[in-house]
Amino acid sequence: MIWILLVAHLVGVVAVLSLPNPRPAFAVALTAPLASAVWAASRLGAGEIDTARLDWVEGLDLAVSFRVGPLGALLAVLVSGIGVLIFVYGQGYFGGGDRRGFAATLLAFSGSMLGLVWADDVWTLFLFWEATSVTSFLLVGTKSTDSTAVTAARRALLVTVAGGLVLLAGLLVLVDVAGTATLSEMGPVTGDQATVAAVLILVGAFTKSAQLPFHVWLPGAMAAPTPVSAYLHSATMVKAGIVLIGVMHPVLGAVDIWSGLGVTVGLLTMFWGAIGALRHADAKLVLAWGTVSQLGLMTAMMSLGSGKAIFAAVSLVVAHAVFKAALFMAVGEIDIRTGSRDLRSLSGLRTSMPVAFWVMVFAGLSMAGVPPLLGFPAKEAAIEASLKESGASGDLILAGVTIGSVLTVAYTTRLVLALFSDKGGESTEVAPFRWAAAAPSVLLSALGIVGYVLAPSVTDWVVPAAATLETASAGYALLRWPGLDSTAFWISMGIVAGGAIIGAAAARHSSPPEPVGANNVDRLVDRTLDLAKWTTGRVQHGSLPIYLVVMALVASLAVIPFLGSIDTDQLHAWDRPLQAGMGTTVVAAAIAVAVIRSRIGAALALGVVGLGVSALFLIQGAPDLALTQLLVETVIVVGFVIGLGGLTTQFPANGFVWRSVRIGTAVLAGAAVTAALLASAEDIPSNREALTAAAVDEGGGNNLVNVILTDLRALDTLGEVVVLVVAAMGVLALSRADTARGGGAPLSDDVRKVRR
Amino acid sequence: MSVTLALVVGGLTSVGVYLITSRSLTRMLLGFALLGHAAVVALLAAGGEAGERPISGDAPVDELSDPLPQAFALTAIVISFGLTLFLLALARRQAQLTGDDLVEDDLEDRRIALETEAEGDDA
Repeated sequence: MIWILLVAHLVGVVAVLSLPNPRPAFAVALTAPLASAVWAASRLGAGEIDTARLDWVEGLDLAVSFRVGPLGALLAVLVSGIGVLIFVYGQGYFGGGDRRGFAATLLAFSGSMLGLVWADDVWTLFLFWEATSVTSFLLVGTKSTDSTAVTAARRALLVTVAGGLVLLAGLLVLVDVAGTATLSEMGPVTGDQATVAAVLILVGAFTKSAQLPFHVWLPGAMAAPTPVSAYLHSATMVKAGIVLIGVMHPVLGAVDIWSGLGVTVGLLTMFWGAIGALRHADAKLVLAWGTVSQLGLMTAMMSLGSGKAIFAAVSLVVAHAVFKAALFMAVGEIDIRTGSRDLRSLSGLRTSMPVAFWVMVFAGLSMAGVPPLLGFPAKEAAIEASLKESGASGDLILAGVTIGSVLTVAYTTRLVLALFSDKGGESTEVAPFRWAAAAPSVLLSALGIVGYVLAPSVTDWVVPAAATLETASAGYALLRWPGLDSTAFWISMGIVAGGAIIGAAAARHSSPPEPVGANNVDRLVDRTLDLAKWTTGRVQHGSLPIYLVVMALVASLAVIPFLGSIDTDQLHAWDRPLQAGMGTTVVAAAIAVAVIRSRIGAALALGVVGLGVSALFLIQGAPDLALTQLLVETVIVVGFVIGLGGLTTQFPANGFVWRSVRIGTAVLAGAAVTAALLASAEDIPSNREALTAAAVDEGGGNNLVNVILTDLRALDTLGEVVVLVVAAMGVLALSRADTARGGGAPLSDDVRKVRR
Repeated sequence: MSVTLALVVGGLTSVGVYLITSRSLTRMLLGFALLGHAAVVALLAAGGEAGERPISGDAPVDELSDPLPQAFALTAIVISFGLTLFLLALARRQAQLTGDDLVEDDLEDRRIALETEAEGDDA
């Protein structure tokens, strides 16, 4: 079933793209998520676990592997269920027009997200993780003619993909230390290597879930159409980091730095995000910063790692997905019907857009953590988890969660009050009501109440999911009414009261805020490009000889570590005395090649080198080589004489300094090669007997070299012949080109300008 | 291993490197040919001591030189032959187009270098 559903998404993408008529694009697109949501819902709370595995390279432990347990089912219901509503909403949001590409990309994202939450193999997880980054990039940049959207998309991609690379590094380290790439087979790990893996993986999670200081991409991503913001940038994709922290908890939770780093960053993000939400006047940006803040709380809870905290984190993921998607949809509806999202100018919407108003009130109350809405028990769980922590760190966590929550209530209050207040003067004009744009948000908003009423059922779904991450989560429940003797309840009420007062005050004095944040990323990118250009300009002058000298020098240095392994026992002056004489001849002729300034003379000297090498082959006992070399050398010398006919007869001379550099490099390179060769000397037993037997019995020939080439390694020889044929074709094409072109073509201006 | 052969390889490499760092394509080509020789001799030197020609029946098996490196070396000779001729054709074509066989600086690299130099002047 897992395969069918994932492939259905893929088929859906193709189907949507190839629709002859754009009208039903969203309707076709929602079928695969609908099927996934229904299947996943049927498995909620069930103890069964489904797996699917496709081995790819078994030796490397590479496989595509999925595992759907309680957590996978719960997250899939969120991903696919909200996905279905988003497609419905998209139909209303866009009204008409050809949206096939958009619907297909959104569906591709939906499938990637599903793969991500179901993955049971770290590489599978990583693959889908990156797929969500790429689809997010495409969706943020939907308005490809709008430079703001394009910049925001690029920024989102850079931050999340950079985080993806860090995550990849972390996973590599983790797989090494855990000994397996399958998540369900990993046991807890500790130690230095595990610490490195933990930090890298946390950073990866932080980028995806917009934690400080990587949060900058998320508010910018609001340039995307609202269905995208509601789906990717609040309800699902940004939760990927939280989910990752969750699934890594059983493996890395015992690493010292894990919870400390996660909780600190999470709480700081919660605070800073809430401040951001209080500052902005664009309703969508308020929600975006609010999302950053809420993600901070979830990160903190998930990495805190106690049974209650994990339970709270999973509950928050569920509650947040429901209310934040509703809030975004309502703001999007206001946006398309009034053309504005500005808290300071919109007026009279309470009467003109009652549906959006009530949606935002209920979803907002859920976000603020007020009963009777699902956000309340989830927030209660978070506060109780903080209360359970002991010592100074426990107090700090409680303080952080409390302050963050007060601010959450404050920005929620401010948002709803400011958005729907009457500003005096005329009410904002409102376009006609669209069912498709309103219905999904009404449904989600209502789910907040239903979820509260049915809290025991929700508990039955959330607890098994949390228990797969931390068994100690098993005993907890979402409480509709914690009772008057519960400390958490009174803290919670204090939070609501304090936040409401601050929020009401902030709504009245709404000063226009300065846009903050994201420019830093752009500046970093620009600086990096400048630096790359500068380095390239300095290092890469374009002169091939300089490059070659640098390469030769570096390669020569690489020999140094091997110098120690030269073993004089393995060396002797020569195999046969004749070798010394012929060797001297060869080297002398080679030097002559370099010294002679006449082209023909140099070519002839090269011929002497070739003949000398042939003689060396004969001395060594390799007549076949000698024969081949002789033949080849003859052809090459003839080739030189023909080929160089048209050129000046003398080589141009070089300056003294450059010549000295070249000679120095050359001597060093020669010495390095000699040293490397001597260091590699070792008495390896030859398998002459086996080769002889194979050649005579199987190949049917006595000349061992010939049989090796034509029989034992016949395929290699075939490849070699192909290389020769290709080279011959190249030579032919190049020498025919001049007859067609008739000699010297004029230089282009570019070439002339740059030539020195 | 025969030190003589190792020295021959070193000598051929030296001259080869010296020649390929030249601006003249023809000399680079000569350098490539020499480096090719160096590689083949290195293979041979690595193959062990000299012996009788590796033809079964001519001498006792123990006295034959090792045929396997020879087979590799033969392949190397043929490939470097192909390469040399191809480079020769390239050098010839270059000479026809520009009148000499000198290697130009890379256009893109030069452009970037010039741009950064210009920016440096502005600053």
